[in-house]
Amino acid sequence: MKNIKHRDEYSRDWLLRAAEAEDRVTSFSVGGLAADVGWLDAGSIAPAPILARFIELARRARNLTLESLAVRAEIDLAELVGVTEARQQPTPRTVYRLSQVLDVSAENLMELAGLAEPRAELAQAALRFAARSEPTVELSEEERNALNEFVKVLVDKSDD
Amino acid sequence: MSFRVIQLLEPPENKLVEAKLIDTLKPHDLELVERAWTPERDRLLREYLLRGIDRRAYPQSLHWRWDKKARHLRELQARATGILVGDAWQGVMLTKSATQFARLQPDRGKPLVYIDYIEAAPWNLNLPDIGQQRRYRGVGPVLVREAILQSQREGFHGRLGLHSLPQSEHFYTGCGMTGVERDAAKQNLLYFEMTREAATRYMENEVSAT
Repeated sequence: MKNIKHRDEYSRDWLLRAAEAEDRVTSFSVGGLAADVGWLDAGSIAPAPILARFIELARRARNLTLESLAVRAEIDLAELVGVTEARQQPTPRTVYRLSQVLDVSAENLMELAGLAEPRAELAQAALRFAARSEPTVELSEEERNALNEFVKVLVDKSDD
Repeated sequence: MSFRVIQLLEPPENKLVEAKLIDTLKPHDLELVERAWTPERDRLLREYLLRGIDRRAYPQSLHWRWDKKARHLRELQARATGILVGDAWQGVMLTKSATQFARLQPDRGKPLVYIDYIEAAPWNLNLPDIGQQRRYRGVGPVLVREAILQSQREGFHGRLGLHSLPQSEHFYTGCGMTGVERDAAKQNLLYFEMTREAATRYMENEVSAT
């Protein structure tokens, strides 16, 4: 394991001033209140927003309706809608079927869905894609370029 | 594991203490965090119960379990960062990149780094009700600074977003963030945003301490 050690740059004065904000509160915690499902549904996996955006843009790029994509992939329309709205975690079968219809690697799509451990290179490609695409009705030229670049990474069917 | 050397303050003299900042925590690390923090959470809870203090005054993150949050690290855009003094974790943060977009002008609609969870170690909470002063100062400010650096590295110009627990709102106001709106979908928590200008001011220490 590689150790990289270098000093971060801020002064004691910076720290003293910045810490004044900390002194005004009990804590600086961010997250859920006691009703937070985070400790109640520990076994579940959060929906994957980048997967949702990818499926949505790939669908629109093919001029497919949600219904026609569901029919082609032989998956439940309600599940597809839930996945594209990042409300629902897809099942492994659904991810596999979508990878077939969208012609990308099932393994990569599984990682994107959070169903397999992600690799660093795919994470970087996904991040670039997410940063360059936004949920609009028409695919802009930039979105299309972002989609095409991301598909190049996803299409690597090393699992085939 | 790579790390950067940082410094915290140790009250009451505000002596500088060397620490390590690590931004590549794995699920196993979060399990170790919780293993160390759970007995301390229990200790705090006992103190509150013994004093008969109203539950509404308890630290609002006392129920958290970082080992249960490890599942978030399966998401491609998630990153966990922690601060170590010796072998003790002093604070931990979970961020996600480009999953949320700025709500404030001039960058409305552009991606930002979202702080999903952030928490100090139980001994670093400021709890006058049970007579506890924090062991180290600066954990929160340094983690926010790190989130800004992460945002800058990813080309988001320091933009941050988060939903603050009510007990923490003054901290984020003090950091120069803007309380934008309460989100019904997020337990009605107040959504805060750091604009790129506010991030620059924060890094340059021009934030008002009043």
